[in-house]
Parts: sequence; C-alpha cells; structure tokens
Amino acid sequence: MLILGIETSCDETSAALVADGRTILSSIIATQLDLLKKYGGVVPEIAARRHTELIGYVIKEALDTAGKTLDDIEAVAVTSRQGLIGCLLVGVAAAKSISYSKQVPLIGVHHIEGHIFANRLSHPDLPLPHVCLTVSGGHTMLLYVEADCQYELLGTTLDDAAGEAFDKIAKFLGLDFPGGPVIDKLSKQGDRKAFNFPRPMIRSRTLDFSFSGLKTSVINAFKDKVRRGEPLPLADIAASFQEAVVDVLVGKTMRAAEERGVTTVSVTGGVSANSRLRRVFEETCKRNKIDVFFPDLSLCTDNAAMIAAAGYARMMMGEVSDLSLNVFPNAPLEG
Amino acid sequence: MIVLGLDTSHYTNAVGVVEGDKILADFTYEAKSDSLEQIVANIESTLQNAGLTLKDVEGIGVGLGPGSWTGIRVGVTVGKMLAFSEGKPVAGVTTLEALAYAARNESPLICAVIGAGTGDAVYAALYRPENGAVGRIGEYYVGDVKGLTALLSGPAVLVGNGARKYADIVGREMGMNIKAVEALPGGASVASLASRRLTRGERDDVLALTPLYLKESTAKAFVNKYRSSHT
Repeated sequence: MLILGIETSCDETSAALVADGRTILSSIIATQLDLLKKYGGVVPEIAARRHTELIGYVIKEALDTAGKTLDDIEAVAVTSRQGLIGCLLVGVAAAKSISYSKQVPLIGVHHIEGHIFANRLSHPDLPLPHVCLTVSGGHTMLLYVEADCQYELLGTTLDDAAGEAFDKIAKFLGLDFPGGPVIDKLSKQGDRKAFNFPRPMIRSRTLDFSFSGLKTSVINAFKDKVRRGEPLPLADIAASFQEAVVDVLVGKTMRAAEERGVTTVSVTGGVSANSRLRRVFEETCKRNKIDVFFPDLSLCTDNAAMIAAAGYARMMMGEVSDLSLNVFPNAPLEG
Repeated sequence: MIVLGLDTSHYTNAVGVVEGDKILADFTYEAKSDSLEQIVANIESTLQNAGLTLKDVEGIGVGLGPGSWTGIRVGVTVGKMLAFSEGKPVAGVTTLEALAYAARNESPLICAVIGAGTGDAVYAALYRPENGAVGRIGEYYVGDVKGLTALLSGPAVLVGNGARKYADIVGREMGMNIKAVEALPGGASVASLASRRLTRGERDDVLALTPLYLKESTAKAFVNKYRSSHT
C-alpha cells in the first residue's frame, strides 16, 4: 500500500511516499527557515502563502525522488487537525484534489498522531503498550498508548509548549530561530548548574506541565545580571534553562511509566532531537530498566512521512475521509 | 475544448464548465468563509450534472483573486493540483477579469470592483471589451472606493458584488450618474476566459500558479515599514 503523505500544519511544506506504513521511499521537507529568521517566528499569513507557492513542487519532488507517479499512489494522507488553519487548508486542498482525480482514499490525520507514528517509522517493533512523550514547539503531551491509535491523555502543558519556551528564551537572549537547536548547541559550552532555575510542577501530583514560570525566572536572572552590570554568561543561562526543562520532561515521563507499569517509553516531536534530553532519558531509563526510543533526527520535526504512517494505521482500521474533509486547528487527539 | 473553471475568491464560490462558446454548467453557491469543505465535491457534482467526469475536462481555469486570501489559496491549490494530477493545462484568470467579462456587452469601459475586506476599501481594475473577451487597461487599484474617481472617465460601468453601492459613492464624488452591474465572479466566466487562452496555446506553469493577493500580509507590511523608517 503506497501512501502519499502531506503535511502543512505550521511552517514546513512536506510530502512523502511511504509503503505499508513503514518504508519511506521519499520524504521532502521545504522549511521556511528564511522567513522564521526574518520575522522571529511563524507569521500565519506569510507561512500560508509560502505553502501555496511550494505545495505542488514539494509533491512532485516526493514522487520524482521515489521514482513514482500519482498513478502509483493508493491513498493520500494529510494533516487536517491541529495547526494553523490557513496552513492546514493548503495541504488538505491539495490532498482532496489528488484523491478526487486519482479516485484513491483520502485520510485526514491528527498532527500529533503523526508525531507518535514517527517513532514507529524508526522502530517498527516499538513495543505496546508504552508511555509516549510528544513534545514540540506546539505541544507537550504525555500519553498512554495502549495499542495502535488508542491513546489516553495523561498530561499536557497548561501554558507554553516546551519547544515554545526554547524559542522564546532564545529570542530573549538574542539567539537565532528556532531556539531548540541553538540552545542545545550553546549549552554544550555552558554550566548546567550555574543557575538553579525552578523545575515547574515537578512535584505536583498531576502529569501536567508548565513552562511559563520557568521562562520568567530565566528572564529575571538575565535582567538581574544586566542590572548589576555583570557579564552575561549566555551559555550558562542556556544550559541551566535546558537542564530545567529536561529534568521536568524526564521526571514526569518516568513517573507516568511507573504509574502505568510499562517498561517502554517513546519520546517524539521536535524537542526529542535535543541531545541533552536524549542523554538524560537514556541514563535514567537504563537505571530504571526501561527501554527508551527516539525517532531518527530527520523524523523529529514536522514531516509528511509520519503523516503517511499514521494515515496507513487509520486506514487499516477502516477510517477514511470523504471529499468534504475540513481542517480543525484545535481538535483534540482522539482514539 | 472542454474547460472547467473555478473561483473561490468571494463569499460565494463558483464552478463552471464550457465547451468553446457553449456553457455546459455554471454553478454559484454560498461558501461564506469555508471554501475548502465544498469546492472539490462541488466540482464533481457540477461535472456530473453536465454528464461529464473529470477525465472529459481538457483544461482548467482558476480564479486567482483578488479577494479572500484564504479562499484564493484553496481555489489556486485545488486548480493546480487537479491540473497536475490530470496532466491538463491550466490558465489563471483574475477575478476582476471574470467580473468585467460578465459586463462586456454593457459599455466600452468597464470597471470591475471587489470589496477588500474593510470599510470602503476595494480592489479594482479597468477593462475594455476586446475580441469577445476583455482586456485590462492600466494597473490594478487597491484603496478607498472614492479613489476610483481618478481612474474613471466617460461612460464607464461598474461591475461587481455591491456595484450599485460603489457606483453611488463614486457618482456622488464625480457629480454624475454611474451605471452599475451587479455580478458575482462566475465559474463559466472563468472557464470561458481560460478556454480562449488555452485554445490559443497559452498556458500557465501548473506548479508555479500563485494567487493574486494585491496586498502584503500585515506582518510583512509592518516589517517593511519599520525597516524603511530605521535605515
């Protein structure tokens, strides 16, 4: 079963060809990094315009790279839920047109379900049930994954997503966009213990997250240094901030695994590319005799291959959409 | 040549099919702010009602705007991906041209007008009838409807949705009566104009097809203004 995946929910225009939900034949991602750097973040109208310009080229490139044509496609999977509305609709409009023209099934996919399936692309035998931490610039969620497409939400962020906190702190420190990779790199030269930033909600009984207070703490520490006229240890601030985020993400995930009695943890989403997060997860999981899985780095950030993989799973459950498929920017993850 | 035309730039959306000078189908429906949900299903049903399938379509005309930014992104994406998927040629048609075409027999000078969202702001352009179609004169206009007084001269007719209201405002400014033709962008108009172009062998690059916004996003306008005032 050859599926064309399409993903345009935020700032990456992406198309991919995936066979049987597990073999990636091509995965094309056109980033809008130039625009992000210019505007210091995603501007929905500008991102939507760029998607409209690129969508056809990206789909053609995915076909050409795989050595296939649209006649070979057996279904089209597209992100239709969660994201920027003007961006989502470009991908869905393209997917519908191809589904109608080639008379192949159309499958609307939830963006976060895509991230969950990114790890299945990298690890086809990822054990079930497991606890999944999916964390990016748009969301931070802990899920109990009982079986394919069966989720129980254990916790979510009450304010900023973890990746969003990285972006905002990077912007405040005058670093480049997106903040995740920049802070990751800079932190390697810094002292993780230089600042004792709070670990928000780490002791709370829920598995929810909050990063807004941490962000304020970091900004206050920075301003304090400025006020005293002291040198600004950017690398130390970055490393200490990152360590606080990592501690909370790992701590809560381990508790979720313990509460649910699972021995497998799946970490996915853009922030799962963070090298310190991976390191701490690996060390902690090893101590606790838990297996931890991360997607390949190319599958951490938004991509259409994961959408095709999730679409395949939904299709195997008999779930397909019709041509009236619409977009839902704030739809909850169901299943 | 059987040509499918679509336009999603307005609160109404339109699908039409022509074969040469003959209109096979012309369907306009209320989409409000949701072009995405209905457009592809309505292309299918419009073709069906004309006894056709997508395989019978030999070319596609796409309304490029100006109009609703969200709407034209949907229409342009659908138009270009259908053309790409079917391997058929595509011709972009501006929504103003499609409106002017509807009034081509009304006057030697046609001013097509579309509301630009806020207050009395409009997108507009002047056209004259030309070989059964229309040809644009001068540049596109974006601004307050009163500014049209500088564009108009002689016995122009205003065409568009709300043309009567705009004609009254402009007529008062100019101290004369301006004729108005109420019209919505039509699918068959888009198809007819595209058909003429495609028959002549003119076609647009399918994958490069882009909406005609005529206005920058507010963020871009803001950054450009900020940059120019600080450099």
